[in-house]
Amino acid sequence: MKYTLLAVALAAVFFVPEIKAQEKVTINGFVKDAENGEELIGATVVIKELGTGTVTNVYGFYAVSIPPGKYTMQYSYIGYFTIEKEFDLTSDVEFNVELPVEAIQMDDIVITDKPIDANVTDIKMSKNELDIKQVKKLPALFGEPDIIKMIQMLPGVITAGEGTSSFFVRGGSADQNLILIDEAPVYDPSHLFGLFSVFNADVIKDSELYRGGIPSRYGGRLSSILEVRTKDGNNKKFGGNAGIGLLASRVMLEGPIKKDKSSFIVSARRSYVDVFLRAAGEKNLVHFYDVNAKVNWKHNNNNRFFLAIYTGRDVFNFDDQFGFDWGNATGTFRWNHLFNERLFSNTSIIASNFSYKLEQDDLSAGFEWKSDLKELTLKEDLNYFMNSTNELEFGYHLTYRQFSPGRIKPTSRTSLFAETKLDDMFALDHALYLGNKQKLSERLSVRYGVRLSIFQNIGNQDVYIYDDPQDNIDPTRIDTVSYGDFENIKTYVNLEPRISARYILNANSSIKASYNRMAQNTHLISSGTVPIPFNTWSPSSPYLEPQLADQVALGYFRNIRDNTIELSAETYYKDIQNVTDFADNAQLFFNDDLSTEFRQGDSWSYGLELMAQKKEGLLTGFISYTWSKTERDVPQVNNDQPFLANYDRRNVLNVVATYEFNDQWSFGGNFTYSTGRPLTVPAGRYEYEDYQVDYITERNGYSLPDFHRMDLSATYVPRNNKNRKWQSSWSFSIYNVYSRKNAFTVYTRTRQNDDGDIIGDGNEKEARQVSLFPILPSITYNITF
Amino acid sequence: MKKILIILSLFSFAACEETVTLDLENSEPVFIIEGLVTDQNINQYVRVTRSVDFYASGGAETISNAVVTVSDDNQTFTYTHNPNASTDSLGYYLSTQQFAGEPGKVYNLRVEVNGQVFTASDELFRVTEIDSLTSEIDEEEFEDPDEEGEFYEMLFYTTEPQDTKDYYLFKFYKNGAIIRDDENDIFFSDDELLAENIEGVPTAGYYSLGDTGTVEMYSISNSAFIYYNDLINLLLSDGGLFGSPPVNPRTNIQGGALGFFQTSAVASRSIVITD
Repeated sequence: MKYTLLAVALAAVFFVPEIKAQEKVTINGFVKDAENGEELIGATVVIKELGTGTVTNVYGFYAVSIPPGKYTMQYSYIGYFTIEKEFDLTSDVEFNVELPVEAIQMDDIVITDKPIDANVTDIKMSKNELDIKQVKKLPALFGEPDIIKMIQMLPGVITAGEGTSSFFVRGGSADQNLILIDEAPVYDPSHLFGLFSVFNADVIKDSELYRGGIPSRYGGRLSSILEVRTKDGNNKKFGGNAGIGLLASRVMLEGPIKKDKSSFIVSARRSYVDVFLRAAGEKNLVHFYDVNAKVNWKHNNNNRFFLAIYTGRDVFNFDDQFGFDWGNATGTFRWNHLFNERLFSNTSIIASNFSYKLEQDDLSAGFEWKSDLKELTLKEDLNYFMNSTNELEFGYHLTYRQFSPGRIKPTSRTSLFAETKLDDMFALDHALYLGNKQKLSERLSVRYGVRLSIFQNIGNQDVYIYDDPQDNIDPTRIDTVSYGDFENIKTYVNLEPRISARYILNANSSIKASYNRMAQNTHLISSGTVPIPFNTWSPSSPYLEPQLADQVALGYFRNIRDNTIELSAETYYKDIQNVTDFADNAQLFFNDDLSTEFRQGDSWSYGLELMAQKKEGLLTGFISYTWSKTERDVPQVNNDQPFLANYDRRNVLNVVATYEFNDQWSFGGNFTYSTGRPLTVPAGRYEYEDYQVDYITERNGYSLPDFHRMDLSATYVPRNNKNRKWQSSWSFSIYNVYSRKNAFTVYTRTRQNDDGDIIGDGNEKEARQVSLFPILPSITYNITF
Repeated sequence: MKKILIILSLFSFAACEETVTLDLENSEPVFIIEGLVTDQNINQYVRVTRSVDFYASGGAETISNAVVTVSDDNQTFTYTHNPNASTDSLGYYLSTQQFAGEPGKVYNLRVEVNGQVFTASDELFRVTEIDSLTSEIDEEEFEDPDEEGEFYEMLFYTTEPQDTKDYYLFKFYKNGAIIRDDENDIFFSDDELLAENIEGVPTAGYYSLGDTGTVEMYSISNSAFIYYNDLINLLLSDGGLFGSPPVNPRTNIQGGALGFFQTSAVASRSIVITD
């Protein structure tokens, strides 16, 4: 049955007669950056005479099939000059085009820099591309440009506070975001518990966040897709850059292996605070690093190969006694192949491993605790450019996952710890999808599709049968069922329909609507607001059902001032079934009977998102405003009463701007304001023995103070750059300009003075607000060659 | 989870903490019951109090009019409020006769106050012996002691029975006074990760030469283990950022009161700190 959909898809491609049985020719190729040969994703291709066109796919490929004739093809992309070229099409043509950043002179090509109207004309809604060049000019904490910090400013996105790399999209929790680097999932995107993300700005080519209207090729998480793609490496000339910051330094090298055919890029970043600390005799040390490397071989348009790896880790060491580390390693091999001039195929093999380790070196209490999550994915994605009004995409994804939640080993013969291991869990995840982008009329275009997710929890595993599966106080196993390797334990099948439509009202405005259903079969085991690297994940199982989200969104899009300012207003409603939560007081670390802590319930969220964006000109940036509300209702949590989600914030306003003052100086600024996030506070206190204990009556019934902060930055490019082979620049940032003490969290303790001495008789308690960053200036020196 | 907060604060170099005043509404008080039956032949105690507002001054509201009994299968022990009429024992009820709890028996608590009835049951388990205690200089503390001459640590040795499921609560004393590293420390454990030979595990705090160090090891039930686990999570809550939002501990007391009724066998051992 699972192959039926694929068969239908193939039939659609090869056998469905085209509506007008008229001879057609195809023009196809790749759209690239003229300077470095990088493919441009989502570039617009328009056939002026027909008023129709397409956009390049995620590999930079386009194809259009049209009747023979004379046509003017127009290629454009944000931040680049538009190229127009005339063709007299009599047979299939392959045309790769390179868009320049600066005006150039070429025969038979017209170059303009007219802004494009994708905001209005594109079917996509609830989606933002992030311009990494702009991220680099914006203020950065400790001078480290971070794409996640920019994502946290987008409409519909909420943060738990500064200093975290998690984000919350349209009422979804942090683990409901699928974060991909070169198609490989990143399970924990944080360095230093979230102060920075794992994405090194030097190697990012392109990134986009979908918070709704999610195409059928994506699945596995409920709330958003963050796709980060790294550069292929300049295939025209050798180059690189390096940066020295307060906290970390980085270096990137790229260049052709064979000009225009093959290139490489390698980049590394490491924090070095530990080097100074070690020199100063400090024994508590920490560092993180990232390495990205990629090679590609673009044999011709028909066969192109890519190999990308990422590895990054955080290492903490306390006095050589206790330490922990965590990190992701991913690898992606891709093969782009053209079966014919209209059928584009991408085959990927992807591996990902997230692991952490805690280690205590001690004779009497030494231990090593390891946990990891491995996955291997095979993806076959196909694009069929049927004709000028239909573009099909379909494919098959297969993922094998191994969850190893924990094993503890004593590290000395006299350790009090016994060797203990939690059972591994395994899953096989199939997905078949089919989608079509169809132009129904001059005004109305739709993208519709379906994704069939078939999830299998497989052996080998011993599944425990409980007297009461939700008794987490005294779990009683009444039976154990053993499953062998690859033996099916539980299968969940979900059909996920997706549809988006765009109706053009006039040359400057359109309305768009979308509906999508998403299913999630990997569940984060955390009851906190912000995930930490020591959380584990579990597959759907007999005790954990797939989480399902249904979302509808409606939007109005308008461009003003000749497409230079893009306005959008979107409203959404999202309903989540089986949202994974945990019993009050759940014990989530190293619990043999973890399944007794699972509580699944409902979550619902709705909101309004406004955005005004200016992408081109001396002044660029955006203003976003979000009003939203997110609630949960989970059996046996909060006395069975609905409660606000931990990350609920009613109002969020963000302003992001950069200004090119002259050739030497550019400036950037952020301002963010949001309503404080919900907090559970004590209603009273009591004594138990001599402990002063908070009495809790309601979850998330209080809210932290409002959060607001302004950051400023300046980038200086010295004049003497012009006549030498390398260029330098200085980046200055001031984080939290007016040094606002924003509440990170509030906890309670016995009343104490500043020296930690108890005030009074030791009965009284007080609330302590923790704020992370006061005003923090930073400086980074960069060179590019 | 507060530990992650501390680590993160280190990183932000200038993280700041300040006392803030929460705008809290007055709460409906809840009864708190704390009871302990040990295998020692003593006047066992039960304490009955009520919660107070978070910002109230002074200690808990003590309750003196409760009717308290503890029973096993055979007999019922009655308790009287503060029989010695001491001002610091308000809210404490002592068994009118001395009795020793016996391993293997289930004890039932009944507290009636203002027409409300609270009940609880706990099974008393046997406890393994403390094999020995030793003391030695802690090198790091020796180099930089918090208190002059206080740099000895007490080490603890026992044999964990591997064929039974056991739960332990520990209390450490210095010259008769309870000692902890942090005011909110609770020392308790299940045996899931424990090997058979527990050899030389350091206890809390540091001692000077001549001090008397004492370890009390209590057997506790699974539900007491759960209670202490929940209690420490609440005491060390980071406000629900990295960890769960704070929530009341699960108790064995029925009827809507908080607290716990615990039964324990106690093993105790003392040493005088020497070189």
